[in-house]
Amino acid sequence: MKRWIKFVGLGFTTLTGLACLIIVAMLVLILGNVVIHGGPRLSWEFVSGEPRAGMTEGGIFPAIFGTVALVLLMTLAVVPLGVAAAIYLHEYARQGSQLVHLVRLALHNLAGVPAIVFGMFGLGFFIKFVGSGVDRAFFRGQLTFAQPCILWAALTLAVLTLPTVVVATEEALRAVPRSYREAAYAAGATRWQVVQHVVLPQSVAGILTGTILAVSRGAGEVAPIMFTGAAYYLPYLPKKLNDQFMELGYHIYVLTTQSPDVEATKPILYATVLLLLALTFALNLVAILVRSSIRRKLRGA
Amino acid sequence: MSPILEAGGFSAWFGRQPALSDITLEVVDHEILGIIGPAGSGKTTFLRSVNRLNDLAPDFRREGTIRFRQVDIYRGDVDLAVLRRKLGMVFAVPVPLPGSIYHNLMLGPRLNKTRGDRNALVEKTLQAAYLWDEVKDRLHQSAFALSGGQQQRLCLARTLMMEPDVLLLDEPCSGLDPISTAKIEEALVQLKRELTVILVTNNVMQASRVADRTAFFLQGRLIECGATRQIFVTPAEKETHEYVSGRFG
Repeated sequence: MKRWIKFVGLGFTTLTGLACLIIVAMLVLILGNVVIHGGPRLSWEFVSGEPRAGMTEGGIFPAIFGTVALVLLMTLAVVPLGVAAAIYLHEYARQGSQLVHLVRLALHNLAGVPAIVFGMFGLGFFIKFVGSGVDRAFFRGQLTFAQPCILWAALTLAVLTLPTVVVATEEALRAVPRSYREAAYAAGATRWQVVQHVVLPQSVAGILTGTILAVSRGAGEVAPIMFTGAAYYLPYLPKKLNDQFMELGYHIYVLTTQSPDVEATKPILYATVLLLLALTFALNLVAILVRSSIRRKLRGA
Repeated sequence: MSPILEAGGFSAWFGRQPALSDITLEVVDHEILGIIGPAGSGKTTFLRSVNRLNDLAPDFRREGTIRFRQVDIYRGDVDLAVLRRKLGMVFAVPVPLPGSIYHNLMLGPRLNKTRGDRNALVEKTLQAAYLWDEVKDRLHQSAFALSGGQQQRLCLARTLMMEPDVLLLDEPCSGLDPISTAKIEEALVQLKRELTVILVTNNVMQASRVADRTAFFLQGRLIECGATRQIFVTPAEKETHEYVSGRFG
């Protein structure tokens, strides 16, 4: 009997360990494959140049630039909105009220909507509805904003990443000890002052975590921007909010499926994937560094 | 002397749970009123009713009145921020906020938008809290680096920065060593020249040491309230006698 139990225990240890091993192995496989095939193709020219010769030569700078611009715009939109919503939900709304329930339900469902649906939503809502409205109202009906562009793509991504930011922010707000709030209230703080002086400074690190997650998610999504602003090939960089743009994820899709010469684009494809991974990683790293420096500042004086 | 605070038939509930029943109690200017009683007797609830901190609990309900300088504090037009600044509170567990000692002290002025030069007041309140000598060279270091006793005295100083009329202390020494406790008690005795103190304490001896008058709470009721000496030597009620002589609680 005892031996049998030991055997089962050993079996479970092996199985669970194996599961972890498979996770690591998959990551190593993906990364290794990408690095081996894409690494040699990386060069300064590749990072800084434009695609040439039907995308079989040259670089991918427009796509890098477009990705960074897109993610920045998205962050500008999603963080204020998400943080404000989370503050209302956690600090102002009466807990357990119908409204809070409804908003939470909406958030959970939003988080479960497939990315391609967000793409269609962006096309229908932002471009066809909002964009046309803006054009009619401000540009005498001239086609300005009723077309795919970086603004609508960024906003579509913002809708997609909104649940991430709200949930992470709420988590951060919840982590602020009740005693801090009470101390502030007892010192004569109004509700807004409690939020402003105690709750928000304490939650910055958590809010940044949410932003990091949103950024990494947003930087990697292709489906939402396919119809809302990403371009197949553009010889220039986006300069205005209603310009189209190239984006790394979409560029990978294009290289994979639309290339006239699959073999010739293969090294470029690998290098692009490597760059997208590196860029996402770099964005994450920056956010993590900012977060840890804020944490350190909070803990110290 | 007219009372600075007076509770009249004050009762409170959390949900259906009664926490205070029919408390009628007066607090006189420049006294230290000790409130003693076993855990769950409503001492803290009473204290938190006085600065309306209980309002934060969604299921809090009350009846009766508490008057501060003749004004019913539960009246609709009372400015809670102003009320809570006049009735400063120190909690059982020291609650230093993240940031420096100075940052902590400036909490009240920051909220009150009375920044300006508060250095004189900082020194005065730290002196009053018996903390100045220990922290005067490191005002800009983290408040978390202080010991528990120092943190609690910092919280006392932080409350004093608001220049309150009444000091509400909720078992301020429950987690402290005897030396820190003694320092806080000394501070209170000095402070009553300038303000009124309500001291909720689990430590019966502490009430006997510093309180001018003592109130004994039991199961949400005020059993009796009188001069500390009378409560400890010739209590009118049997429960009071049993509690102060350590037979229960």
